[in-house]
Amino acid sequence: MKPRDRVLMALNHEEPDRCPMQVSFTPEFASRLRKEMNLGGEKLHNPHGGGNTYELERALGEDLLLTSVGWANSYYQGAKNYVDEWGIGWKSAEYTTPFGVGAYTEICGHPLADDSAIAGYKAPDPNRPELYAEADWVLRTFKDEYFIVGVTVTTIFETAWALRGYERMLSDFALKPEIAEQLLDIPYQYHLTAAKKLTEMGVDMIWLGDDVGAQNAMLISPKMWRRFFKPRMADFIAELKAINPQVKVAYHSDGNIYPIIPDLIEIGLDVLNPIQPASMDPARLKQEYGDKLCFWGSIDEQHTLPFGSPADVQDEILTRLKTLGKNGGLILGPTHHVQLDTPMENFWAMVKGITQTPYPVA
Amino acid sequence: MESLIKEIHTAVMEGQSDVVQEKVRAAMAAGLPASTILNEGMIAAMGEVGCLFEEGEYFVPEMLISARAMQAGLALLKPALKEADVKSAGKVIVGTVKGDLHDIGKNLVAMMLEGAGFEIVDLGTDVTPEMFVAAVRENSPQILAMSALLTTTMSSMVATVEALKAAGLREQVKVMIGGAPVTEDYARQIGADGFSTDASRAVSLAKSLVSAA
Repeated sequence: MKPRDRVLMALNHEEPDRCPMQVSFTPEFASRLRKEMNLGGEKLHNPHGGGNTYELERALGEDLLLTSVGWANSYYQGAKNYVDEWGIGWKSAEYTTPFGVGAYTEICGHPLADDSAIAGYKAPDPNRPELYAEADWVLRTFKDEYFIVGVTVTTIFETAWALRGYERMLSDFALKPEIAEQLLDIPYQYHLTAAKKLTEMGVDMIWLGDDVGAQNAMLISPKMWRRFFKPRMADFIAELKAINPQVKVAYHSDGNIYPIIPDLIEIGLDVLNPIQPASMDPARLKQEYGDKLCFWGSIDEQHTLPFGSPADVQDEILTRLKTLGKNGGLILGPTHHVQLDTPMENFWAMVKGITQTPYPVA
Repeated sequence: MESLIKEIHTAVMEGQSDVVQEKVRAAMAAGLPASTILNEGMIAAMGEVGCLFEEGEYFVPEMLISARAMQAGLALLKPALKEADVKSAGKVIVGTVKGDLHDIGKNLVAMMLEGAGFEIVDLGTDVTPEMFVAAVRENSPQILAMSALLTTTMSSMVATVEALKAAGLREQVKVMIGGAPVTEDYARQIGADGFSTDASRAVSLAKSLVSAA
């Protein structure tokens, strides 16, 4: 079965030959994997799918290919310290794992920290043709075979807080709501333009996202989310579906976002990602929302993949297939980019477990 | 006079820094003891903020603005507290571990502890085990509180506990840890004294660790 058809069936709440798989990696894990698989490619791997060759993804048997336009591509730009085209400052933080040393790029400079900077701020232009060259190539080369996802994550909140500063943005919601509205509109407009363009070009799904969940509860209240984000997300999804009623829309938020799942369904969401199992019970989600929503992710990156055994990984996959993946409706994969601390045995247990377990799962 | 305390309490809960400062100034001018303003105005309000957070009424923005308002009041009150020799609930060193630059969780814990009367020494982010050890040696805190958001940086918590042992300081300080991937099991495994899921519960944990010391 073609990867593309496998995903289409799953998202139609049917069981294909096996569950579709999507896996992303940090640049350091990608390098390790390239060596392990004897694959070439010297370019820094972008886990959001900006500037990749998709060799790793295709060699592993993934079913979805991701291509990204937007601020999320500012991550992992390689240099120690840099300022991106939004004026946001980045610095590198090194960490050590049993499998080598890696580095995260983290946001450290906020061009809109001062209220006075907001009015005159000019965001980058989302209409530059070169931003869409990769998407054009991916669609021309792979769409017949693969399910193509246009990535515009960090859609509203995350880019806005990077511009403003995290604590300042959170305080704005409570103390300066008018300023919060102005800030949110900047990335909203940019990513909406990008997502519409990607939809017009023919991607199968648009992936939106903003982390509004903490480990055990929402970061902001459901009421606040409904005030600041729901109307924007509703318009965003409606605009995409007006261009192509068949286009699927996925939404990413880390952590626990139970209270707003009915809202997301109401505004037309098709697929929820990443389903962190330590934050939200996958079986409960399937039971409550499985007829209205598909799921993407769900293999634990906080415990099982880095610290569990291959048998733990295999058990988790089978559990997911029997619960979240029952009657389709699931794209399996890690909840986040596979990190450098993941033992290779666990990684292969995941890939083999997903690609070699046929539906129906006994 | 009581109404001023009530007004401070309300302004802290609503995160109105300017109002807190105005009312603290008024309360001090009216001759209210600094300890009363602190305990009955601000610490009581922050306790209520913590309860509302645990009950799911308050979320991070509300907690954050209350904590900032409390800090604005405390800044005015500090000289008077020092003069009156008001003792803190204990000294806590806080920091996000090496390789990790995430600080919202650590900052909230620090602010909630400060709001419960603890004295805070904040080492910031990307703090190496050696830096934690040096700060414990220098400040003699009752508690060392470490935060990590990432599985790839959590291991620095073990390294810090081991470094405290190697420096002969482990018995002098209680170690508490937190952060998204951190669990009770992990705390036990690395020999920490406690773990908390959030900033509000970190206050109860710190109080119990100090009283058990």
